[in-house]
Amino acid sequence: MAKTLEEKIKLIRSPKRLTTQQVISQLVTNFFEVHGDRQLGDDPAVSAGIGLFHARPVTVLGINRGTNIQQRREVNGGAVRVTGYRKALRVVEAAEKFNRPVISLLNMPGADASVFSEEHGQSEAIADLILKMGQLTVPNVALFLGEGHSGGALAFSNVNQILMLENALFSVASPEAVQAILKNRNQTQDASEFMPMTAQQLEKIGLVDNIILETPANNLIERIDVALSKALDQLRDLDAAQLKKQRLTKFEKLIEFNKNEQ
Amino acid sequence: MSHLPEKNSWQICQHCGKHVHDLQWAPYFRCPFCQNLQRLSNEQRLKVTVDADSWHEIRLNAQTTNFLDFPNYSAKLHEAQNKTHHGEAIQIGTAKINTFPVALGIMDSHFMMGTLNTTVGTAIRQIMQIAKTQKLPLILFIASGGARMQEGIFSLLQMNTILNQWTEFENDRQLVINVLTDPTMGGVSASFGFKSDYVLAEDHAQIGFAGKRVIEQTTHEELPDKFQTAEDLLTHGLIDEVVKREQMRTKLTTLLRLHSGG
Repeated sequence: MAKTLEEKIKLIRSPKRLTTQQVISQLVTNFFEVHGDRQLGDDPAVSAGIGLFHARPVTVLGINRGTNIQQRREVNGGAVRVTGYRKALRVVEAAEKFNRPVISLLNMPGADASVFSEEHGQSEAIADLILKMGQLTVPNVALFLGEGHSGGALAFSNVNQILMLENALFSVASPEAVQAILKNRNQTQDASEFMPMTAQQLEKIGLVDNIILETPANNLIERIDVALSKALDQLRDLDAAQLKKQRLTKFEKLIEFNKNEQ
Repeated sequence: MSHLPEKNSWQICQHCGKHVHDLQWAPYFRCPFCQNLQRLSNEQRLKVTVDADSWHEIRLNAQTTNFLDFPNYSAKLHEAQNKTHHGEAIQIGTAKINTFPVALGIMDSHFMMGTLNTTVGTAIRQIMQIAKTQKLPLILFIASGGARMQEGIFSLLQMNTILNQWTEFENDRQLVINVLTDPTMGGVSASFGFKSDYVLAEDHAQIGFAGKRVIEQTTHEELPDKFQTAEDLLTHGLIDEVVKREQMRTKLTTLLRLHSGG
């Protein structure tokens, strides 16, 4: 059953939504979390670490949004701070050194908007992670468990393959921000009507490689397992140059194609 | 001729509200009362930056269309094109600065706030390519409110498509200087904004990732004085130098000379 944007938003922001922590604990063994960006501090919104996925070492970047008020406050609702981007950068550089794939797991509003992050170079921290993710010599895959918006989410998803749960969203700005622009114009329509942001729309434009169905819920984690393994298997045989090239052309081609289709 | 000033020759300073005559503005557009700057049009920028008659504009490879059928976008585009007499929020070309040949990209805040869309992104990649093949130093005058909402995810993906080509471009040992002007925000600041060899900022320019209002609303913090100004970024170690508009040409000349092998 197709859900409206409003229903999707409610679902992905619910405290009952599948979390990054649940995915890590169920699919990754021997998870060893690392902390800190070595400059300013540690951002708990990003769980960064190494573990075994199907007996292969992988690097995981998990964005936590928190399931109760206390947690949400601690992890800033999943809005990643400058320290989170720098920690992620450090961890993906290590992934390259030890030749292990990177998996990002996302459910986050976007990047942190605060005086602290701004004064310590939030812009460049995001840019550095986008840049590095694109140049990685190892495969990287992003899985959107919920939502991810703006450059803050893009930094974790400049990857070889993007997977999304059925009701996940990925957009240039939060649906509320888009709605606000539309409202000024006396438009009451659903924001996704004008902007591809749902998993289904993004699959259609060629951005999303695989959508994982959310029902039946009891074996969702198994379907995630299968989808992630499949993605990593498909990328396994590509060498460093091919991986970079694949990212470069994936994004350029889909923009070109969709722009010219009209 | 009447001794009274002709129409439009007086303008109100946006910062202090005083009336300033055209002759007092020109050519640097600094308010004689409060010393704040007015945002320049591309013509005004060229006039104070490059050698007379040295500017050769290069046609953009792409054109903007309302390919998502976003409400009112076509009208807004027309309005911006009529106002600025340019097709998009960026112009690219080659010019000379004190006889040093350069490739230039100039973004115009008067065109939909210089927002980054598919055409602007393509233009940036185009001028990178031109700088590379013609072996010219690249100077980007940046002015942008961020990603352009009306092209949704496709605007967002400009951030990584530009950065995915950036490393290869940099490997060519080409000099790149970014001049951040008012405003440099969001998706532009968090992609190529800070990734040049030198990051200069025009005095008083607003530079940051998240907008001030967004930060105030999300954190309820009181914003410090001078927050997100060029001067503040210099204090926090985020840019190389704040340059007064009157000095920009001279400072750029110095950098060009220092990188021209003597």
